[in-house]
Amino acid sequence: MSETMSGKMNRRSFLKVMGWSTAGATLAGCDLPSTVTLEEGKEDVVSYLMPEEYVIPGVGVWYASTCTQCAAACGIHGRVREGRVLKLEGNPDASLNHGKLCMMGQAGVQGHYNPDRITSPLMRSGGNLTPVSWDKALALLEEKLGAVNGERFAWFTGTISGHQAALVDNHLEAMGSSTHYVHEVVNNAVSRAVYQDMLGESNPRLRLDKAKMIVSFGADFMGASVSPVHYAGQYAKFRTNKERGLLVQVEPKMSLTGGSADLWLAIKPGTEAVLALGMANLLLNKIKVSDAGIPADVRSLIDSHDITKVARITGVAGHRIQRVTQLLTERSPSLVLPGANAEGQAQGYDTVAAIMMLNHILGNVGKTIESSGEFPFPQLMARQGGTADLLAFAEAAKSQKLDAVIFHGSNPLFTAPASLGLSEAMASIGFKVAIAQFPDETSMAADLVLPVNSYLEDWGTQVPANQGEDAAIHVQQPLMEKLHADTRGFGDILLTLLKQRKNDEYAQFEDYYAYLRNAFAAMPAGVKNNAKNNNEFWNTALQTGVIKVASGARQLSSKVVSFAAPAEGGAGLTLIPSPRLGLFDGRHANLPWLQEAPDQISKVVWDSWAEMHPATAAKLGINDRDLIKVSSAQGNITLRVTLLKGMNADAIAVPLGNGHTDYGRYAKDLGVNPLQILDAIKEKKTGELAMYGTQVTVKKVGPADDVSLVRMGASDTQAGRKLVATIPVEQLRRTEGS
Amino acid sequence: MSLDNILNHWSDYRKGAEEGGHHDYEHRWAMAINLDLCIGCNACSTACYAENNLAVVGKQKFEKGQAMHWMRIERYWDQQELEHPEQGASFLPMMCQQCGAATCEPVCPVAATYHTPDGLNAQVYNRCIGSRYCSNNCPFRVRYFNFYSYYESSWPQPLEQQLNPDLSVRDKGVMEKCTFCVQRIRTVKDKAYMEDRKVEDGEVTPACAQACPTSAIVFGDTMDENSRVAKLWKKHQVERGVYQKTRHAKKNADLRGYRIFEELNVDPSVMYLERVREDV
Repeated sequence: MSETMSGKMNRRSFLKVMGWSTAGATLAGCDLPSTVTLEEGKEDVVSYLMPEEYVIPGVGVWYASTCTQCAAACGIHGRVREGRVLKLEGNPDASLNHGKLCMMGQAGVQGHYNPDRITSPLMRSGGNLTPVSWDKALALLEEKLGAVNGERFAWFTGTISGHQAALVDNHLEAMGSSTHYVHEVVNNAVSRAVYQDMLGESNPRLRLDKAKMIVSFGADFMGASVSPVHYAGQYAKFRTNKERGLLVQVEPKMSLTGGSADLWLAIKPGTEAVLALGMANLLLNKIKVSDAGIPADVRSLIDSHDITKVARITGVAGHRIQRVTQLLTERSPSLVLPGANAEGQAQGYDTVAAIMMLNHILGNVGKTIESSGEFPFPQLMARQGGTADLLAFAEAAKSQKLDAVIFHGSNPLFTAPASLGLSEAMASIGFKVAIAQFPDETSMAADLVLPVNSYLEDWGTQVPANQGEDAAIHVQQPLMEKLHADTRGFGDILLTLLKQRKNDEYAQFEDYYAYLRNAFAAMPAGVKNNAKNNNEFWNTALQTGVIKVASGARQLSSKVVSFAAPAEGGAGLTLIPSPRLGLFDGRHANLPWLQEAPDQISKVVWDSWAEMHPATAAKLGINDRDLIKVSSAQGNITLRVTLLKGMNADAIAVPLGNGHTDYGRYAKDLGVNPLQILDAIKEKKTGELAMYGTQVTVKKVGPADDVSLVRMGASDTQAGRKLVATIPVEQLRRTEGS
Repeated sequence: MSLDNILNHWSDYRKGAEEGGHHDYEHRWAMAINLDLCIGCNACSTACYAENNLAVVGKQKFEKGQAMHWMRIERYWDQQELEHPEQGASFLPMMCQQCGAATCEPVCPVAATYHTPDGLNAQVYNRCIGSRYCSNNCPFRVRYFNFYSYYESSWPQPLEQQLNPDLSVRDKGVMEKCTFCVQRIRTVKDKAYMEDRKVEDGEVTPACAQACPTSAIVFGDTMDENSRVAKLWKKHQVERGVYQKTRHAKKNADLRGYRIFEELNVDPSVMYLERVREDV
């Protein structure tokens, strides 16, 4: 034995050789190479001695597809073994995410294999949803939608793109309607409006990787943003550039991105515009940067915001503002980013305009803000959501303007503030159809529920609204046979709907696969990348998961848009309903991995909680872990508090995600939903919901205990141990920098 | 292991970590984690749950410290004296450090945890009797004990279909921990062996390093001098071995590489690079 061990052959290879020589005997011992009937007449158990085509038992194969866990649409690879998808990773061919994937993407398999999926069509009868056959469901669909007046019909979805979006458009047209509500809680709709007016493009490419300094007004670009993995990749380049990038984050509640800041500044909520004006004042009047292109009314606003006033209103120390502004001129090109806290105010547009003006003054447009070019397939581009459509939908429902609505990929009954009265208003909609994977609040209120395939079982195309280096269409293909016999693909359901209206046009497509093949064949030669024929193009597209398309060149303008004098923040406590990477806007509350993953900043698991600065809490007689009641004019929520110094004293944050009244075993009746108590304040120019504009009062209602609020980690400090060592940037420059 | 073998090699077995231990290593898998790039986003941790069949324990058991997060992100607040943490949070990805002189190994009464010729601190599940001595002895607190059977509560049908067949689901009474994704290492090593070649740098990527959106984690074999991880260790003057040796090795104190609890002489296989902050 010892000779064998010390020789070339180690124990494992020895066993292997043994295995080969006795392979026949071993196999005969455990797996009989025959078709055995387990229960006579019932089922043939065919072992993997006769595997399906392309399946090698024990070998995992990676197939490309596209993630739909958030609207970013990252490319993924799914590992398939013995016909099951086991693990998801980023697709290295996708320039959007370069082979990387966030926690939400990783947990996609738990949505797919979720024990609480809807597995058959459900129809409301006698007040309850009861399982019915597809034939019955589709007959009802045909009858009801055939009878509805087109103008009183609408689609309600989350962000949607690709050929599915084109088919939704076609269905609306066939119905004689043009109403498509697109709703997304985590959005940048207000910024898009400003980008459009200022730059002439609503989704410019933000080049964090080219910036030497970033000042982020609450933009949680690596956390709950429109494309977290993409921006995290850019951030890595920003930090590892020859000259390490400097990140300054100004926000009322520390976000995931704020956790990585070189300088984190707590700003009084709702005063972001004042700070931006103060910085502009310093740039123009003290540092004497050119004011070219700044309208006179804006100039006078700037001039009225001297540093003393700005420091008083924002709560940010004057010397900090001066230093940061000075650095912005020294570290060029820089990038100033607006975030959700800036957007979510009654004057959100004005605030973002003031922040973006800094990019104009600093000359960043064209350097760190680039044009994303002209995407050659406008009909496939993402219909990006916001909250304006949620408000519009609530109004339409309330004024009884809708008779039939199809919901998909959005859960407005969870995300709508109670003050909108959406659940009552929706009762007036005669026919509500939910194309849904889970029993969430909205699908459980529908009259007809059509069970949809998970994204890992479905065909589709996704076009990221915020593209990577190469503009691309991301291909989504089934990674395995569908788990439940009675679910159908979203594209297939769309085709069925279209066939009910325009059979002559759509009868030629047997299913959505056939439709996509046809659509791919019809794509111009330019994107086919010299494929010999349509088959080869199709196969290459499935293998890589990415169809690169060349965007037409476009130039950005840089125009400062006029805006009104900013507000100076509320008098009391402002509620920050903060979305986070993980449960996100609540859509991932049914994924146990994400419930068990501690919140990145507060480290709480499996719960809702409030975050307050210790000083604010002390004033109110509140201790860590106390039970508190947070009340707005619209209602109240009761939850436990965790004290956090990464808070402005005038803010209280309640993370989004929990507080579901439905949504399966992992989410139901866990925690509270802060969106419920928001005032339905509208952003003045865009009609978006001012999510960060609600004032609340806080009262202690119960004492602390050790078990009700669960946080990872016993110690908040390193207690003098060298766990996470921090060095000043000068030391890095000596060894690794320029 | 025969008695003869032990008697013949007794002095080898007695050789301490100071002298390189008794192993003739084939590989020494190691990591370099750049804390300046870690944003604390949990992608690694969730990827680990997906890859390694980690059980979800729920709120009550989490509160009792029974969570199974092999890879966890610790978050510390520095600058306690300030009103706000002005330099953000300190994030630390913490997993089994695969120590070269592991304190968990000698205390196992049944040799369920032992050192492999790959330099890994392996845990043999079928051998483990659940004494938890190893966990008590681990300075990093990265060993996780199955106080319960989770295969029904954590994977209600059809969630169990997601389980990775390359490794087992551990049952009640068994200790488990990060393996550096040994199943991935195994697959690559077998492939290289069949093709009669060496394992190439970058061929093995654990789930955490693969997922990391900022590529903060570099994984590889420090015995392969040309591997990225070996070069990083060398560049930052962090050497295998115990404190006395490495302290002398580090000629430039400005370099960012360090190992956590270096002073305990456990010879971790994970080198961290210090987080950087610019004083504004």
